[in-house]
Amino acid sequence: MSAATIALLGQPNSGKSTLFNALTGLHQHVGNWPGKTVEKKEGTFTHNGKSYSIADLPGSYSMSANSDEEVITRDFIASGKADVVCILADSSQLERSLFMLADFAGMDVPCFLILNMADVAKDQGKYINVSAIEKKLGIPVALISANDKNSYEKFYDVFERAVKEKTKLNVSALEKEYESLNGYDEIKSSLEDNTIEGYSPMWLTVKTLENDKVITAKLREKLSNEDFNRISRYSDTKGAIAAGESKFRWIDDILKDAVNVTKTRATLGKLDRIYTHRFWGKPAVVLTVILGLVGSFIPALPVMGLGSLVDALKVAVSEMLAGAGYPDFINQILCNVILQSMSFVIKMLGFVFGVTLVFGLLEEVGVMARISYVFDNTMSKLGLQGKSVMPFLVSFGCTMGGAAGSRVIDNWGQKVLTVALTWAVPCGATWAIIPMLSSIFFGSAAPVVIIAILLVMILHMWITAKVFGRNLVKSEDKFGMIMELPPYHKPKWGALFRYVFGRTKDTFFRVTKVVLLVCGIFWLLSYSGSDSYDSTLLYKLGIAIEPFTKLLGMPWQLFIAFVASSVGKEGAIGVISALYSGTSYAQGFNEAMSGGAVAANLNELLLANVSRPEALAFIFAITFNMPCIVALAATYQEIHSVKWTAKIAAYYTLSALLIGFIAYHVGLLIW
Amino acid sequence: MKLKELKENSEAVVTGLDGDPRFIGRITSIGLTPGSSLSVIKNDRNRPVLIYARDTMIALNRKECEGIEVSEVRA
Repeated sequence: MSAATIALLGQPNSGKSTLFNALTGLHQHVGNWPGKTVEKKEGTFTHNGKSYSIADLPGSYSMSANSDEEVITRDFIASGKADVVCILADSSQLERSLFMLADFAGMDVPCFLILNMADVAKDQGKYINVSAIEKKLGIPVALISANDKNSYEKFYDVFERAVKEKTKLNVSALEKEYESLNGYDEIKSSLEDNTIEGYSPMWLTVKTLENDKVITAKLREKLSNEDFNRISRYSDTKGAIAAGESKFRWIDDILKDAVNVTKTRATLGKLDRIYTHRFWGKPAVVLTVILGLVGSFIPALPVMGLGSLVDALKVAVSEMLAGAGYPDFINQILCNVILQSMSFVIKMLGFVFGVTLVFGLLEEVGVMARISYVFDNTMSKLGLQGKSVMPFLVSFGCTMGGAAGSRVIDNWGQKVLTVALTWAVPCGATWAIIPMLSSIFFGSAAPVVIIAILLVMILHMWITAKVFGRNLVKSEDKFGMIMELPPYHKPKWGALFRYVFGRTKDTFFRVTKVVLLVCGIFWLLSYSGSDSYDSTLLYKLGIAIEPFTKLLGMPWQLFIAFVASSVGKEGAIGVISALYSGTSYAQGFNEAMSGGAVAANLNELLLANVSRPEALAFIFAITFNMPCIVALAATYQEIHSVKWTAKIAAYYTLSALLIGFIAYHVGLLIW
Repeated sequence: MKLKELKENSEAVVTGLDGDPRFIGRITSIGLTPGSSLSVIKNDRNRPVLIYARDTMIALNRKECEGIEVSEVRA
């Protein structure tokens, strides 16, 4: 039973996630807000023997009704589910970041204010008089650095005070500002304390002036027609602008005697001069992401090593079981299905761990905002934010990393679209097999195939953006960038690591289930009980579907390899090898998953059995197929929607076959 | 004049805002209200305009800042 529930409210870059992660550690749970696709983060922490619940509210820049996130945020606060609201502001950008407090003012809930990034403000030569601010606001205020452990005493102190004394914000000075607004008195006089539960008449009046769609719709229900018409004529752009001016006048007044600046205003730092450079900006960003990708292998390698260890264990375990006289199929299930899957999953997880860590770090330090700035113009052509360039680049290495990296995109629709587009980027495993297949079949013309793949990739991304974009990115979300470039901060390593471990653990459980299931199915299909392959289900199935696969330009063996490539592209070559050389299928699949097992005479086998148009169909089909089963699981983990994950998977499977079909016919024209 | 017509290193004051409620909400929440002063840090073609206002470095998409009217302040 928790002693109190606390809700965190703050603009992006106010250090909300850092504070949340530092307070809760691994005691956090990520889910969805009921009926919405917005991520819900909750957790618990104990202090002085008492246990508290904490909710990280998704709200973005204000308490308006411009997004689901903002509406969820204010509904949650108004519902009274939180005993106290912790409002965060960035002390290095106090003037602007106190806007959230001003927009919150008028909600009838106890609160306290945390001025974060004290270290950055100090570096800027800002002196902040906390007690002066506290006196004006009437709520506890603390100046902290969420990345500094010693700050937390101050946090707990004001938090406990706010819970105990149920401190509420003093809004009289703000209301004086509002009273000068045209229509304010008239609207407010038609409202009562409980017209809408949880919101004061002052707050509702200002939202009416701002033409807030959700609030005006609610007022239309609650008020008489006559009253509603009388007040709604004030809802317009002018009202919204004037209300904004009032809020900032109030903020200016709070800060007037409380902040002392010794240094002059900031200019572009050395790093920012490079990132914002007209020519060098883009190369610098691409280089940063590539270095990040390379850097993510450093923490990934030990984990990947562990995966190989599990793989190596297979032989020993298999011999031991055989020696102890266990039946062959138990041996195979344990080694070829369970150990094989674990090895595969652990190797992949190494990469998820590395990417989440490195790109989480880039986000926290502030580099991600610069990436967004540099690629804003390019990405807006796809209906996306500049940040989306990062997942795309990462996906050349690993799609799963790209999907995991998409978490820095704050709009759900744009996030789903970004993940969907990362699937079109051929990943590292694809690049490992495509050049090889191309040179077997096309010799010196192989580079032409590679260039064609890159061109199809761009076209694919453009078409997919059109196909999915219509439903995912609403026209009101299609706005270009309006965002701050925050000053660079030091990361809080402990909180970051805990967050990354939590995410990786989460991915592990999700992915393991899927991989075990899929590996199990493949093994069952290819299990024959003897060494002959023509009694396997797979062979019978293959022969049965061949008339259909031939239409798509692929012999059944290639089609099965295509299906196997949705599990992992590394496997495709091994599967072809097994199918054409006629060795044990079960063993072939098993070894294919480890990325090995290529028949020595693969070249001759392929050239003897596969025509050039068929090869072309196969190359294009597997390149643009679903990247792998782990990418599928990672996609679900990021976008929280079964429907959209299934849609994306089905779309890629079908479009890959279509692209293969087209490639086959192009091939027939050439040869 | 429009914000995006300002030259690099110039100082200006916001004189008017125009746009849909979403734009007004977003632009006021980041601190650009009539009367607020700003300075232009960077203004390259095909890039968002980079300004400094209310303690903050802000990047504004060129299309989005169509609705921001300013008047230049001579130093």
